[in-house]
Amino acid sequence: METTEIIEDKNITVERTGEEIRKLFFKNELCASCGLCEEICPVSAIEVEPTGAMVRTEQESSKINIDETKCVLCGMCSCICPFDALDLEIDGESIKDKEEYPKLIKSAEIDDELCIYCKACETACPQTAITVSRELPARADLVTGEIEVDKDKCIYCGMCEEMCPADAIYLEEQIPTSDNPEVASDIIIDEDKCVYCGICKRICPEDAITEACRICPYGEYEIEEADVTGSSIIDDELCVNCGWCQEICPKDAPTVTKPFEGELTHDDEICQGCETCVMVCPCNVFSFPQPSKSGEKVPKLFKDERFCIYCGACEKSCPVDAIEVKRTKVNYTPTKSKAWQNAFESLKS
Amino acid sequence: MTIGLVVHPELCHGCGNCVVSCPVNALRSSEIAGGKGPTDDVEIIMIVEDGEINLRNSDLCGKCGTCVETCPVDAIKLEDVE
Repeated sequence: METTEIIEDKNITVERTGEEIRKLFFKNELCASCGLCEEICPVSAIEVEPTGAMVRTEQESSKINIDETKCVLCGMCSCICPFDALDLEIDGESIKDKEEYPKLIKSAEIDDELCIYCKACETACPQTAITVSRELPARADLVTGEIEVDKDKCIYCGMCEEMCPADAIYLEEQIPTSDNPEVASDIIIDEDKCVYCGICKRICPEDAITEACRICPYGEYEIEEADVTGSSIIDDELCVNCGWCQEICPKDAPTVTKPFEGELTHDDEICQGCETCVMVCPCNVFSFPQPSKSGEKVPKLFKDERFCIYCGACEKSCPVDAIEVKRTKVNYTPTKSKAWQNAFESLKS
Repeated sequence: MTIGLVVHPELCHGCGNCVVSCPVNALRSSEIAGGKGPTDDVEIIMIVEDGEINLRNSDLCGKCGTCVETCPVDAIKLEDVE
């Protein structure tokens, strides 16, 4: 049996040969330096570098160090990591796929039946884990009307073309010559683009345009309901189950299950507003409140616990100990192993 | 591998950004929180003396990186101190 460690691009692989091959993988990019792996490691083989330093300053090292001479490749770190930055494989199979090992119960899903593809979740997601694609109907499918230009009256001034919000009017301009002294040869209205707003009619100095919108006088006349199709996809690797999508969605389409329950407290008296927690938190829990008017006193720091997953990165990063993260429940799949149960329960404060 | 606070006085311009931006300093000294150097002998992490940065009590450092961000000349850093 031999244990080796390879560090490549800040990613770590610890491998132990023997009857079964055990490999522990660490993906630096996914790590939030929360410190849970260090806390749960039964042999103190993991050291997590200072959270603020790793997030705020440029560092050449990985966010965690694994001492391969101490590591027993048990996999507890991989099962507790809320960001899936660690994974233990036994003979090529992740222990997160093995029933006998407990794993965090966490998920985020968007119900396609309820989603209207408004993109609020995509915009709000702190990890840019959500991609919303949508296909909108053509404008012409949502309007109906009639439009016509009396070419005998039209003087080709181009005002309608300049003002049309739908770019539906096009003038075939030309340089006037002695045998054809006209500034344009034709005016074309693209009825697939026209939205029958009537601006062209109202700007025309010669009353050359007649336009009638059929919807305005008759309401929903002849128009089918707008059909928006699309898809909303959550990248499970990037998702941290913070709940932003669930809270911001106007249609209650996302459902998020968080790995931990707890309480987040912050002492505004001690806080010096250094911004470390704001930058460290993978869930965008913290922000600096802006006064709505001059002279208004606002708290130094604002937190919204609805987005907190109680990973503890903020508490670990705060240089003045102004933040406290209490974990009251760890949500994990059942295990028969008392040692693993105890390890998971030990993360409660 | 241990990350700790390191200063490079030869690079320092003496602006004092690090001293006043440091949340630990600001909490310990109301003068620093108010934006100037301390006139009393309160224990703080770093101080500018004779135009140069000096580490006083690096053991107080929370390694948050705020000072590193405010230094215009890379004279204060969080780096491997082993």
